[in-house]
Formats: sequence, structure tokens, C-alpha cells
Amino acid sequence: MAESNGLTRGHVLLFFLVMTASIASGLAIFSSASRITELLHTATTGIVLPVLLALVLSFLLEPLVRLFERGPLTRTASIFLVFALVASGLYLAFSWLSPHWAEMWFSLRTDLPRYLGRGIALLKEAQARVQEIFPYIGGFDLPSRGRVLAERLFSHILAQTTGSALKIGGLMVLVPLFTFFFLRDGQKIVRASVGLVPNRYYEMAHDLAWLISRQLSQFVRGRITEAAIVGLVVGVGLSVTDIRYAPLLALFAGITNLVPYIGPIVGMIPGILIAMVDLGIGAQFWWIVVVYLLIAQVIVDNFILIPILISHVSNLHPLWVIIAIIMGGKLYGVLGMIIGVPVASILKIVIIEIRYYRQTFALPLGEFDS
Amino acid sequence: MSLLWRNVFGQKTGDDSLAGFLGSIPLFAEMKPRDLRQLAALVHPRDYDDKETVFSEGDPGSGLYLIRNGRVKIFTRDSSGHEHEIAVLEAGDFFGETTLVSPAVRTASARTLEKSQLVGFFRADLLDCMEKNPRLALRLLFGLTRAMSERLHLADRELKRLHHALHELQAEGQD
Repeated sequence: MAESNGLTRGHVLLFFLVMTASIASGLAIFSSASRITELLHTATTGIVLPVLLALVLSFLLEPLVRLFERGPLTRTASIFLVFALVASGLYLAFSWLSPHWAEMWFSLRTDLPRYLGRGIALLKEAQARVQEIFPYIGGFDLPSRGRVLAERLFSHILAQTTGSALKIGGLMVLVPLFTFFFLRDGQKIVRASVGLVPNRYYEMAHDLAWLISRQLSQFVRGRITEAAIVGLVVGVGLSVTDIRYAPLLALFAGITNLVPYIGPIVGMIPGILIAMVDLGIGAQFWWIVVVYLLIAQVIVDNFILIPILISHVSNLHPLWVIIAIIMGGKLYGVLGMIIGVPVASILKIVIIEIRYYRQTFALPLGEFDS
Repeated sequence: MSLLWRNVFGQKTGDDSLAGFLGSIPLFAEMKPRDLRQLAALVHPRDYDDKETVFSEGDPGSGLYLIRNGRVKIFTRDSSGHEHEIAVLEAGDFFGETTLVSPAVRTASARTLEKSQLVGFFRADLLDCMEKNPRLALRLLFGLTRAMSERLHLADRELKRLHHALHELQAEGQD
């Protein structure tokens, strides 16, 4: 402090007053900011899932809408046409399948404890065998832990059925509504938000927005198609055996296939467990293992689908996959685990596109501008 | 009643509307009114201040700009930073069209000389249009190709003239 000799009591007092005021206002801003983010979180909890589903659906339906739009129809009319087609398709599928599904669902509710009990018994056997070889790891009670976990899961599923019916009802209203508006006004929304960029960077922002949205729609369409085909292959492979619940298992395998590395493993656990309990370890059991591992995962997914559908741009390092699953699970539960990895891939695509753009053209630094 | 009718259903005609302006540009001379209306939904009108940079030499270029009103100076800079004016363009002119189809860096800079409104049309819009409305894209590309070949002819003629002048100079030097 060069002018410290000139400091009077008044200066010191003023300095302290200013410091106190700034600390107090900093604290106030901090607490109100955390309050605002809290409010934001509460406000958005119900909206995240429908918005995400609607976005995915609008990415999926966009090519169909474009196809009709090329003809004499306007965009709104072609969206209505696509909606009508999808709705009638869903209605037909539902009316054809629903008796089977209801029956399957009720028998599964009685069968589930049996499968879980058998799985825990198998676990106990395996642990006893391991303890024979390595006697010093006796302290850990794996089977009872597994039982507690399984029972909790089971009661959770039972409790959720009524709640989830309500939730699904809400989704059935919100998702089509959001999808309609995303399809009709999506480009306008993107255009308007890109339009806020200052003139100097507008061209670049416009270009980048286009590149990113093209990559994104490719990625979403690719992932969904991949999951659907893997589910189909598992369904067909399982239905030639005597295993029960083949359609449910195929659906589960398809959905879990959205998560790379870990998803396929989780997806095959119930199928293999049911096969072990109901069919015993025999020819059919090994066929089911081959269907899950070799046919669905290695041949169809890795050799055929991934090279065709998924650009390697969106590949994530396994470490990021695990982090994304854990963070997604913390935020939005099981659903968060499924969508965490795709969301991480989307972030990666955005970053890679921007970096690629910067490498192709040295971006202007703007220091010459007057 | 007629006022209401005009407000709700009437379309602005002539130079007032963006479509009318686009129709007055030689680049889009092939287009029918319906095409022009669709094109007007694709382009991006932007307002620029006096002496605002539109783009600088070396920027990633991705499209062309039409001048709706105002004036734009096109120039290059030498290594010491001095500006060399290439042209001053006025309402109805367009610039930057070489980067519309193939990605390239800008070879010159552009800056407005007064408050101007420019209408941008970029490669992403063209690619979108090719997918959604191939007929419109075809007309657009036809107009663009014609403008480019006219420029190529002019450049060719200029080159020939320079070539002759050079020959004559060399002949004089030998004499």
C-alpha cells in the first residue's frame, strides 16, 4: 500500500463497511442462487422424461415427415398424417398383443420370487465352492445381501405398478404433444436461438448448429435402430427354445442395449437366470447363452450394426460410460442410468464438432476488427 | 373490411417483402413467386451497423450475402495491415457466393460502409433445401451456376486481353 500513511480513520471505516457489504451481498447472492437452482430442479423433475422422449421420437419421425412434406402436403398436415399412421400402428399392435402381455405380466409376478430364490441359492452354492478354494474370505455374507437387494427390488416393482400407471397416462398426453411441437417448430426454435448470436459469429454459429443437429439425429436414429434390431434378434433366438417370457426378455435386452459395455451384460442376466431355473443346464441353456453373447452381441451388434449405424465420433471411453451411468442414476434413477450414456455421447458429439470445425478453419480471433 | 382482408390474407408484393426483393436479384431470376416465398423462409435477414465487419479474410466461409440496402466494401489486407479496396457493392449486389457450395476460407474481407441490411444464404440452408425441396434447390443451383459462368467468361476475356497486352509489350521490347 503506497498511500497507507494517508489513511485516516474515516478511510479504514469506509474500507470495512465496503468489505462487509460486499461479503454480505455475496452470501445473499450465493444463497438465492442455490435457492433458484433448487426451485429449477423441482420445477423440471416432471418434465425431463417427457421432453427427452419427445425429442427422441421427433428425431425418429423426422425422416417420415420429410418424405410426406416433399409431396403436396404442408408440414403440419404431414405431421398429422405421420401421427395418425403411428397411432393406428400402435393400436393394432396393442390390441393384438395386450391379452398375451397381461397374462405374462401376472404369471411373472408369481414367478419372480421363485427365480430370485433360485438365483440366490445358486449364489450361495457358488460362494461355498469359492470358500472351499479360498477359505480366508469367509466373512462376507453374499447370499443374504443378495436376498435383501432382490426383495427390495421386487417390492419396489410391486409398489410402482399403480404409480407408474398414472405416470404413463401423463406421458401419453405430454409426449405426443411435445413431439408435435418439436417436429413442427423445432427448426424455427433452433433458428431463433441461433439468430441471437452477434452478426460477426452468426455464420459460424449457423453452420455449427446445422452440423451438430445432423450428427445428433444420426446418432439418435442409429442407437434406437440398433437397440430394436438387437431386441428382435434376441426375441427370435429365444422363441425357438422353450423359455418363458421370451418377448419380455427381448424387450429388456433391447432397452439395456442402449447403454454400451454394461447394458448388454445386464440385459442377459434375467434371460440366463430364467433359463437356468426353468430349463436346467443343457443344450437349450447353451443355445440361449450363444444367442445372447455370440449372435446378438458379437455378430449382429459389433460386426454388422455398429459399423453401419453408429459413427465412431460418438464412441465413449469405458471410464466415461461408467461415470455417466453413475451420475445419471444419481439424478434420475434407473431411467437416468439408461439415458446418461446417450446424453454423454451427445455432449461429446457437440465438443468434437466444434473442435473439428476449429481445426478445419482457423477461427477468427477478431483482433483486427474495428 | 378490405383492410382486414388485406391484413389477414393479402401478401405483400413488390419490393416491400423479402420475396419481392429476392425476385429482383438476377441470381434468382428463374424463380416463380411460390419458389421465392419458400426461399424467403430459408434466408436470414440481418441488420448491420455502420462499419461493421461482415467477415474477414481467412474466416471459414459458408455462404453468400445479398445486400438489401446499404453499401458494403470488399477489401484485402497486405502484410503490413493496409487495406486494398476491391469493390464497393450496393443494394441488389451479392458477394461470397464462391463458398456456398464448396467449403473454403474467405479470400477477402467485407465491411459495411453505412447502416445496412444483408440477407445471408448459407450452405446448410442449401443442403436442407436439397433434401426437403429438390425442385427449389435445382433452380437455386441453376441460377448460381449461371452467375458463376458469366463471371468466368468475364474473367476469361480479361485474361485474354491481358495476355495480348503482355505479348504486345514483349514485341515492343524486342523491337
